[in-house]
Amino acid sequence: MNHDDLDHLLSHETEIVPSSGSTASVMNAVREQAQAPPPIPFPWKRALPGMAAAVLPLAWIVFACVAVFSSKGVGATEALSLPSTLQPLWHAASWVLIALLTTVVSLLFSWRFVSRIA
Amino acid sequence: MSAAEDQADVDRVLAGNLEAFEGIVRRWQGPLINLAYRFCRDRGRAEEMAQEAFLRAFNALGQWRREAMFSTWLFSLATRLYCKQLRRIPIHSLSLDDIPESRNPERTDAGLEEEETARTLRRAPDALPPKYREPLLLYYFHELDVTAAAKNLGLPEGTLKARLSRGLDLLRAKLAQVSPVCQRKEA
Repeated sequence: MNHDDLDHLLSHETEIVPSSGSTASVMNAVREQAQAPPPIPFPWKRALPGMAAAVLPLAWIVFACVAVFSSKGVGATEALSLPSTLQPLWHAASWVLIALLTTVVSLLFSWRFVSRIA
Repeated sequence: MSAAEDQADVDRVLAGNLEAFEGIVRRWQGPLINLAYRFCRDRGRAEEMAQEAFLRAFNALGQWRREAMFSTWLFSLATRLYCKQLRRIPIHSLSLDDIPESRNPERTDAGLEEEETARTLRRAPDALPPKYREPLLLYYFHELDVTAAAKNLGLPEGTLKARLSRGLDLLRAKLAQVSPVCQRKEA
């Protein structure tokens, strides 16, 4: 099949005539949309304290990890180590923080994914 | 289709006259439905897609920058929407291998058969990857206007030409393999 044949074939498409109620249907949808209340914005003011509460401990963990892994000496580890009475609490809290981190990451990912689709 | 009419209607809608949008719908529903039909090959779905495009346009009228023609802006918006929708819910696309073989070359209804084959061949771009299908659809919809197709897809003209060329090559190669009608024409 040469270029002209293909051009001819693809250029000659069937023309679709809009159905009789098409304009009315579009205008009804437009009127409905115009009357609909504006979409509810994301409640940033309410969400920010919670997000900050989640981010600050995470930042502390990241900072601590970086400090521990970057300093080969014991000094930094000692500086960041907690009193022995707080060790079990810290152990539990670290799991909570990891869970929070996972939640935040999955929320951000799904949010981004949904906004890309919409 | 008048650019001045479009501009006047947009101004009236932005000033609060909702009914002025009907003028825009009347002028552009045919082209938008036809463009959607080329994407989805389903009349009902094409009308729904065009309706969605008009709704998006209505909501985004204030974002139309007047340096571009209203039609260019509207088609870009519709094209982006159609591409996105087709990627979310793909059409039941035709495999190029499904294109019918010539049943009997000596039949007297060869004209009918060729017409049927031509109809099927027009659907052949549906089997291409979106990257090549979309430039082809837009290029032929805009009657071989590379600039208009590139603007609608938001691609540089060079990129569109390259994809067009590659898409046509793929199509030609496939069609030559599967369609005896094509081979006969080539001979």
